[in-house]
Amino acid sequence: MASFLDRERTVAPPGFSRWLVPPAAIAVQMCVGEIYGFSVFNIPLTRAIGITRSVPGQDWTVPHVVLCTYSLGLVMLGLSAAFLGKWVEREGPRKTMCVSACCFCGGLAVAALGVHLHSLPVLALGYGVIGGIGLGLGYIAPVSTLVKWFPDRPGMATGLAIMGFGSGALVGAPFAVELMNRFRTPASIGVEETFLVMAACYFAMMCFGAWIVRVPAPGWKPEGFAAATRSGKLVTANQVVADEALKTPQFYLLWGVLCCNVTAGIGILSQASPMCQDMFGVSPVVAGGFVGLLSIFNMVGRFLWSSASDFTGRKAIYAVFFLLGCALYCLIPFSQRIGSVAMFVGLTCIIISMYGGGFATIPAYLRDLFGTIQVGAIHGRVITSWSMAAILGPQLVTYLSSYQKAHGVPRSEAYNTTLYIMAGILLVGLVCNLLVRQVDPRHHMAENGVPNPEGSKA
Amino acid sequence: MKKTSPLSVALAFLVVALPLGWGLYRSVKNSMPLFTASKAPAPAPAAPVPGPAGAPATK
Repeated sequence: MASFLDRERTVAPPGFSRWLVPPAAIAVQMCVGEIYGFSVFNIPLTRAIGITRSVPGQDWTVPHVVLCTYSLGLVMLGLSAAFLGKWVEREGPRKTMCVSACCFCGGLAVAALGVHLHSLPVLALGYGVIGGIGLGLGYIAPVSTLVKWFPDRPGMATGLAIMGFGSGALVGAPFAVELMNRFRTPASIGVEETFLVMAACYFAMMCFGAWIVRVPAPGWKPEGFAAATRSGKLVTANQVVADEALKTPQFYLLWGVLCCNVTAGIGILSQASPMCQDMFGVSPVVAGGFVGLLSIFNMVGRFLWSSASDFTGRKAIYAVFFLLGCALYCLIPFSQRIGSVAMFVGLTCIIISMYGGGFATIPAYLRDLFGTIQVGAIHGRVITSWSMAAILGPQLVTYLSSYQKAHGVPRSEAYNTTLYIMAGILLVGLVCNLLVRQVDPRHHMAENGVPNPEGSKA
Repeated sequence: MKKTSPLSVALAFLVVALPLGWGLYRSVKNSMPLFTASKAPAPAPAAPVPGPAGAPATK
């Protein structure tokens, strides 16, 4: 069994179609992306004892549930991706996907036990810690594998994988709601059984991905593809290992690029429903529809923008994200002033598509600058910026809009200052992006596999 | 050299496309009120609430 999981056993034989790898990647990413739809459990989990209503002092509260599941899970995602990235590169995608499936689905099962015992620490250990480790492993393994299979279209490849993660909420949220409705009884909220069924289904899907995934044989290249032997403007033909990448300014600039892009987008996403209601006075049902629409654009943007970057270059596409995003953020208050819901929806959908595009394009950008040898490990370290942004963005929007409302600003205009600040954050991201240059040759790996102090020939 | 059959590739895509398509359908269905409802009169509601349980609140 162990050998079946080894990297050597996953090397693709001649004649293997690389198009089997994207569905493997999507299968895993779609499952771990379920965390995006976890909010559907928030209210039911606060009624585990009261069933129809929350019992103060006995039932959990929403902030406790969110902290122990969603927030802790995302923090563990960043940490496990950062610290286990090199292990992922060494052991290969199949073993990583299997470990990810065991952690993520095992975490769901432990979380079910936590609900059964009504123990918040057990819930946090299950979904937050164990599940979070599975999340991190499942996020980076498919991406680095796809980058190696599609050297001719790395943007499209990473877009496909990360689109899968974006689709996690589209599938996971309604699936969870259906299951909770089915298992709900007068004595139970149905979350425990839902977690167990989801764990079983996700485990099967993730194992399917692990079963069909392969790594390319050494020296393999797509038919008709001539690998660049000389480095282009921002695309290197050299390799930089993860530890060495940390010594380059490019790593920190890309960390800043991702952090700014995600902070701005996540701020809108986390407050989309109340923002829509406050600014335009629409009903909660309509605002819920707006959130669903944003999820679709978030997913589609991941594939389209990242694929487009194969033709424009990564630096150019990020410049579009930041410049266009800045302009669109500044236009949102205008759409409120003229009372155009359609314009507001259009602007935010484009913004969110670029937010998703930013996530999906970063692995290809890393591959361009640092090569493919440890791109998964480097990606794992860069996405710690996501954890930072996940705290910054929502806090900025929530705190500033609450402050404005408390100081007498009409609800419909309470978000304007925040939106202008988000536009400013995007300009900071633009500066980081413009400062990105080729990696200094002294960081390149030499033939013997160690960093080359003299710089490489290419 | 044994070549991967295009049918295997199609089947693999189908396995992931089925749940994805179902989720997409559900989300589009949930977004419909956005296009069918007319704007409610001002003032805005005093206490906004998050979207309905079926709507994924993504981040």
